[in-house]
Amino acid sequence: MFKHHEMEINMGPQHPSTHGVLRLKLTLDGENITSCRPVIGYLHRGVEKICENKTFHQGQVWTDRMDYCSAVANNLGWAEATEKLLGITVPRRARYIRTMLNEYNRIASHLLWLATHALDIGAMTVFLYAFREREAILDLFELFCGSRLTTTALRIGGLRDDLPPGFEKKAYAFIETFNACVDEYETLLTENRIWKKRTVGVAKIGAEACLAMGVTGPVLRAAGVAHDIRKAFPYAAYDEMEFEVPTRTEADTYARYEVRLEEMRQSAHIIRQCLDKMPEGPVMAKIPKVLKSEVNEVYHATEAPKGEIGYYLVSEKGGTNPYRFHVRAPGFVNLQALPQMVQGALIADVIAAIGTLDVVLGEIDR
Amino acid sequence: MTPDMTLTQTLVIALLQAIAVILLIFIIVPLTIFAERKVLGFLQQRLGATRVAGGHVGITGFMNKRMWGMGKLPFLSYWRGIPMLVADVLKLFIKEDIVPTKADKWVFLFSPALSMIAAITVFAAVSFYPGALFHFPKAFPLIGGLPFNGVLADVNAGLLLILGIASVGVYGIVLGGWASNSKYPLLGGLRSAAQIVSYEVPLTLSLLAPVVLAGTLNFNDLTRRLATELPIWAVLPMIVGFLIYLTCGFAECNRVPFDMPEAETELVAGFHTEYAGIRFALFYLAEYINMMVAAAIASAFFLGGPFLAPFGLHKFLVGVPFLGAPNALFMVAKVIFVLFVFIWVRGTIPRYRYDQIMAVGWKYLIPLTLVNLLAAAAIRFAC
Repeated sequence: MFKHHEMEINMGPQHPSTHGVLRLKLTLDGENITSCRPVIGYLHRGVEKICENKTFHQGQVWTDRMDYCSAVANNLGWAEATEKLLGITVPRRARYIRTMLNEYNRIASHLLWLATHALDIGAMTVFLYAFREREAILDLFELFCGSRLTTTALRIGGLRDDLPPGFEKKAYAFIETFNACVDEYETLLTENRIWKKRTVGVAKIGAEACLAMGVTGPVLRAAGVAHDIRKAFPYAAYDEMEFEVPTRTEADTYARYEVRLEEMRQSAHIIRQCLDKMPEGPVMAKIPKVLKSEVNEVYHATEAPKGEIGYYLVSEKGGTNPYRFHVRAPGFVNLQALPQMVQGALIADVIAAIGTLDVVLGEIDR
Repeated sequence: MTPDMTLTQTLVIALLQAIAVILLIFIIVPLTIFAERKVLGFLQQRLGATRVAGGHVGITGFMNKRMWGMGKLPFLSYWRGIPMLVADVLKLFIKEDIVPTKADKWVFLFSPALSMIAAITVFAAVSFYPGALFHFPKAFPLIGGLPFNGVLADVNAGLLLILGIASVGVYGIVLGGWASNSKYPLLGGLRSAAQIVSYEVPLTLSLLAPVVLAGTLNFNDLTRRLATELPIWAVLPMIVGFLIYLTCGFAECNRVPFDMPEAETELVAGFHTEYAGIRFALFYLAEYINMMVAAAIASAFFLGGPFLAPFGLHKFLVGVPFLGAPNALFMVAKVIFVLFVFIWVRGTIPRYRYDQIMAVGWKYLIPLTLVNLLAAAAIRFAC
């Protein structure tokens, strides 16, 4: 009379907590997940193909729109990859400002992650606390380049403009108070019993599995591998900065939470160093009107807030646009870990797992 | 019915009381919703509702303009969001009532009403004041000179009635979730069935401690004896019972951290995913009315109800002018305080996972309430 019956349920593409248009095909045995299959592509715009038909300057605008929560990090990767391809050396002041903006962006991205992750798990107040500080960062971006989200703050060869008057004062004011703000988020979550119950031991993915799948960023560092491209292959001005790469060994959602919070503190530390040691000089290298590539191909990886973002550009010598362009998007690679993370878990854990991977579908689908 | 009243008189007064209770509900519930917006806004460093969307046309536009004018005064500016309540209700009434094609139509249509009926009926046995609130003037035909009591149905087994009817409300949720013939509502309905049935046990057990201490089930007698006649040692089981009751109250009302049946970020909207318009509003109202009932019971039994001092400590205040006498205002103030706690908790802590909720209920709360009940019985026996 009664028979065992598994239910297939469709989570997304329209669901409050799939962070955009991620779709998961879940097979449920009661509330337990027996299989999970991510379906992506709902936000595919063909960024890579479009960029192949644009000049290098034009292509940069498209990189903003991949991971729209960390536009500067995407810009930086593109700008540096192109500079490698074209053989341009960037002035030191521009590298410092880039580093600073990149770290501001990392904080903004992590704040957005914290806000939505906590909201997914049910702590709605953290959302607004985190957005309060994110707002201040977006104001800084607006002051610097006029836009808030898709900034296109950088230019190939440096920056369009130097820092506007009053920027440094506001930038200092932010980092003066920011560590206290992180402490405030911690008062709401870190020792909260329910938060710990929902995150400790949930959505585990160990170092070996991470390395096998190419998972990078905070997810990898929370599994105990201290891999950070800012340290391993320094770019921009990171070789002159002093900072730590926070790691944990638990490899669960709580460890990733701790890693990301610590990263925010380290970012604030880097920003302070940038502001303190800011060199004088030009912010733009001398570049020709029409950019022509010097070498045939280049792969340049940078540490985006979500993990390693790699730009692979192929061009012929003297070409004005890339012949082939490929992005190694951290979100896309990290999402592979999701089915393994949620195997046998409950529905509520899937939400926690999506949140802790910090996926942005604009980047995954490109 | 007291012996000196005819049946007609009793029925007329009961009808008037019922109207008063329903009016009270429909005034307090929207205010609670408004308070929720404002308190959450306060907790989250934002303003909460400050205007009605919808520009400057129509009813809401008119309200907006008037309220905006009022808002120039510093105190009133805080209340500018009030028209939002009217706009909300209007919207829910006007919206199309969609019934999914493959839904079990009659069950689907009936279950919100079931939730609502259960929620409102409970109020019949909730007492805001022992005895008459006022007497009708002699000039009134038929009912002149008769009392208007602070409770609609002053039955001997009042508490039993409340618990019994309140547990009918879960049928609305389960049937609504099942009849929607959709997967998320089904999961929400099942979760709620399991959760509410589990938490009914510690809830009832936690209320049994005061019942044992007072030795009656009548709402008014319970409140009075709990406030004024308890031995001093009874404070301990009362406080423990209050905390357990509050926890179970959150679970029974499907509030954070136990809002499993809805679990917005997991199950979209849980059991009412497929509901729209006024049927959704009925579920929504029922949830808030349940909150009020939980708050009323918590304040009546544990916080002293119309008697000022909580946890049975009122006997030291008896005889003091004003503070010593029972007053319906004290009860209202306590209800408001407990409602505030509900909102406060929602703004502060995350949501439990389904299996963890079950573990909390069965592994911790039930044994704890049993110990508490034993302690209460021992105190009753000893003193």
